[in-house]
Amino acid sequence: MNAETRFDAGELPRLPADYRAPLWWGIVGLILVESVVFATLITSYFYLGIDQPEWPPAGTKTPDLVKPTLGTLVLMASSLPMHWADRGITRGDQTALRWGLLLSIALAVTFLVLKYIEYSQMGYRWYTHSYGSIAWTIIGFHSTHVIALILKTVVVSALAWIGYFSERRSLAVVVNGIYWHFVVVVWIPLYATLYWVPRILK
Amino acid sequence: MTTRTETDRPGVTEQASERPAMSRKAQELDRTWYSASGFVGWFTQVNHRIIGTRFIVTSFIFFLMAGIEALLLRTQLAVPENSFLTPDHFNQLFTMHGSSMMFFFAVPMMEGLGIYVVPLMIGTRDMAFPRLNAFGYYVYLIAGVTLYAAGFLGHAPDGGWFAYVPLTLPQYSPGLGLDFWATMITFIEISALVAAVELIVTVFKQRAPGMSLNRMPLFVWAMLVTMFMIVFAMPPLMVGSVMLALDRTVSTHFFMPSGGGEPLLWQHLFWFFGHPEVYIILVPALGVISSIVVTFARRPIFGYTAMVLSVVSIGFVAFGLWVHHMFTTGLPALGVSFFTAASVMIAVPSGVQIFCWIATLWGAKLRIATPLLFVLGFFFIFVLGGLTGVMVASVPFDTQVHDTYFLVAHFHYVLIGGAVFPVFGAIYYWFPKIFGRMLNETAGKWSFALMFVGFNLGFFPMHQLGLQGMPRRVYTYLFDSGWFELSLLATIGAYVFALGVLVTAVDALLSFLRKPDAPDNPWGGDTLEWATRSPPPNYNFEDIPVVRGRWALWERGDEPAGAVTGLHPGRREVLVTTLLDAEPHAVAILPGPTIWPFLAAVAVAAGFLGFIRHPIWFPIGLLLTFVGFVGWLWPRAVGGSAEEQVR
Repeated sequence: MNAETRFDAGELPRLPADYRAPLWWGIVGLILVESVVFATLITSYFYLGIDQPEWPPAGTKTPDLVKPTLGTLVLMASSLPMHWADRGITRGDQTALRWGLLLSIALAVTFLVLKYIEYSQMGYRWYTHSYGSIAWTIIGFHSTHVIALILKTVVVSALAWIGYFSERRSLAVVVNGIYWHFVVVVWIPLYATLYWVPRILK
Repeated sequence: MTTRTETDRPGVTEQASERPAMSRKAQELDRTWYSASGFVGWFTQVNHRIIGTRFIVTSFIFFLMAGIEALLLRTQLAVPENSFLTPDHFNQLFTMHGSSMMFFFAVPMMEGLGIYVVPLMIGTRDMAFPRLNAFGYYVYLIAGVTLYAAGFLGHAPDGGWFAYVPLTLPQYSPGLGLDFWATMITFIEISALVAAVELIVTVFKQRAPGMSLNRMPLFVWAMLVTMFMIVFAMPPLMVGSVMLALDRTVSTHFFMPSGGGEPLLWQHLFWFFGHPEVYIILVPALGVISSIVVTFARRPIFGYTAMVLSVVSIGFVAFGLWVHHMFTTGLPALGVSFFTAASVMIAVPSGVQIFCWIATLWGAKLRIATPLLFVLGFFFIFVLGGLTGVMVASVPFDTQVHDTYFLVAHFHYVLIGGAVFPVFGAIYYWFPKIFGRMLNETAGKWSFALMFVGFNLGFFPMHQLGLQGMPRRVYTYLFDSGWFELSLLATIGAYVFALGVLVTAVDALLSFLRKPDAPDNPWGGDTLEWATRSPPPNYNFEDIPVVRGRWALWERGDEPAGAVTGLHPGRREVLVTTLLDAEPHAVAILPGPTIWPFLAAVAVAAGFLGFIRHPIWFPIGLLLTFVGFVGWLWPRAVGGSAEEQVR
C-alpha cells in the first residue's frame, strides 16, 4: 500500500478507563435501552390508571410512605461509597476501592431487605387487580436489577481483594460504577410514581 | 455456515495462486484473528464476518420457511370453499408466516448485513464487543428453532403476528402455543438490542482515521439510524410481551378488563414497536440502495446531505405513526388527526430519497447488472406501496379498507418492495465479497424477472379484492362472493414469485461447487470493503486504512489514502477514534474466541423457557446467566499486572 498519509498507533493508550473505551459506550447504550424499558413501565402504570374510577382501586390502601422513603435514602446513599471506590482506584487507592465496594453492597442489601419486608405485608398481589400487576412488576423488575448489581459487584470486589485492579486497569470498576448509579437514579422516578402519584391523585 | 469456518482457517484464505505470498505481519495477524474450526470450534467463533454470515444465512432459511407457509396459505385460498387446510392450521400458518418474516427474517437479515458490512466499510478489524455479537446470534438461533420446534410438536401460536388481546389471553387461547410465542418474542428482542448497541458503538468509535461523520458511507448512516430506532422501539415490545407472558402464566391483569386491565395497552405497546419496525426494516434497505445506486451509476450520490438528513428524519417521524394502525379502535379525534398528519409527513423524506437516487441515475452510464435491477424493481413497487400508504393514512379511507385485502396488498408492497427486493440486490452485490464467488448474471436476471412479475401478479389484485370487501385472515370464502378469479390470480402470482426466489437460492448453492472467482472489487465500488480481498482475510485489513474524502476508494484510484501503523499484530487490537472527526485516540484490545457466549445464551433460554412451566425458573435462569457472564468476562490475566497484559 503506497500510502501518503500514515498514522502511528504505537503510542496510543491501550487501556483507557473513560469515554475512549468502547466498553464505556457499551454501558451507556445498555443504560439507554433500560431507560426506555423503565419509561415504558411508568407509562403503562399511568395508562392503566387513567380510566379507573379510583387508583389504587377501591379496597386497596394507598401505599405507606415511611418504609419506602427510608429504603430510597439507603439506596441513594449506596452511590456514595461506590463513587469513593471508583475515584479511589483511579488514584491507585486500594483501600478505598475494597471497602467502598463492600459498603455499597451492604447498603443495597439493606434496601432489598426493606423492600422484602414491605412487600410481604402488602395486602394485594400481582393477580389481585391491574394495579397490583403493574406495581409488583415494577418492583420486581427493579429489585432484579438491584440483585444483579449486587452479584456483579461481589465479583468486582473479589477481584479487588486479590489486587487485580490498579490505576491503569480500572475500566471494570468504572463501568460497574456507572451502572450502579443508573440503577440508583432510575429508582427515583419509580419511587415517585409508585408512592406519591396515588396520593396526589386521591 | 460451515463454509466460513473453512475460509477462516489459517492459510486457506490464501486462495488464488496469483496472490503474492503473505508478509510476516499478515501471517501473524492471521494467527491472531484465527477462529477454531470443527464442531466445538463452531460454538467459540466470534469474528464479525462469521457472525454476520450466520445471521444472513439463518435468516434466509427462515425466509424460505415463511415463504413456504405463504404458499400453503395461497393454495388454500386459490379456490372458494377449499378444504386444503383446516381453519386451525390456517391460523397457525399465517401467525408463523408473519412472525417469521418480521422477527426471524427481516430484522436479523438487516442486522446480519450490518454486522458483516459495517466494520469493513468503516475500516476496522472487528466489532466493539465480538463475544456479545456471538451471544446475540445464539439467542436468535435458539428463539427461532424453539418456536418452530414447538410448532411442529403441536404448540403453534395462532393469534396472528400482532397477538391481539383478549384473543391471546389464556381464557380464549388455551394451550402452550402463545406462551412460546410471547416468550420467544421477548427473547429475540434481546438479540436485536444487543446488535443495536454494538453497531452504534462500533460506528461511533471504530471508524478509520479521517472518516468523519460527514464522510460516512450512506449505508453506515442508514444502519446507525436503524440501530437507534431499535433501541427506542424494541424495549416497549419487550415490556408488552413480558406482560402478555405474565398474564398467561401467573394470572396478572394487564390486558383483561375484568381485572382492571386495558386491552388497548397491548395495541399501543405493540404498535409503538410495530410501526417503527417497518422502518427498522426499510431504512437499512435505503442504505443498500444508496450503495448500489452509487456503484452502478459510477458517480457520487446527488445530495449526500439531503440523503443523510432524510434518513435521520425518517427515524424520528417513524415514532409518530403507530396509532394509524389503531384508527378503528375509537380513539379521540385530535389524537387521530395528529397521527394522520405524521403519516402523510413521512412521505416527504421518503420522496427526497427517491428523487436523489433518480437524480444520481439520471444521465449516468448505468451498468445494468442484477443488483441494479432489484433496485429499479424497488422503485416501482415501493412507490406504489407508499402511495397506498398515503391513502390509508387518511382516517375515512382507512376505516373503509381496514382489515381487508387492501391492507394486505399495501403492506406487502411496502415490505417486499422496501425490504425483500433490496435484500436480494444486496445478496447479489455482496455475495462475491462474502463468499468469494460471483453469482450467475443470467440466473440473476431470470430471478429478478420472475420475482417482479410474480409479485405484481400476486399482490396487485389484492387491492381490488380489498375494495370489493374481502376480509383478511379468513381461511376460505363462498362461491358467490365474486372473489374467485382474483384470488386464483394472486395464488398463481405467489408461485411465480416463489420460483424467482428458488432460482437465486439454487444459484447460490451451486456457486459453492465452483472455485472462488470473485475479484476484490468486482463492481468498482467506492467503499472500503472493496479495498480488501474477496473473501476478506481473518483480520479484514493488513493496515487500517486512512480516509481523506467521502468516496474512500475513488479519491485515489482503488486504494485508500493512507494507512495506520503501530497496531500490535500479535493481539486483537483495533483503533479507537473520536466520535465526530474520527481522530485516533486509543487502541482497544478485543477478546478472542470462547464458548461462554453460547453457554450464556443457553442459560438465558433455560430461564425463559422454564418460566412457561413454573416461575421458579426465573431465579434459576438469572443465576445461570450470572454464572455464564462471569465466565465470559473473567479477565485473562488475574494475578498479572496491567503492564503485562498490554506488554
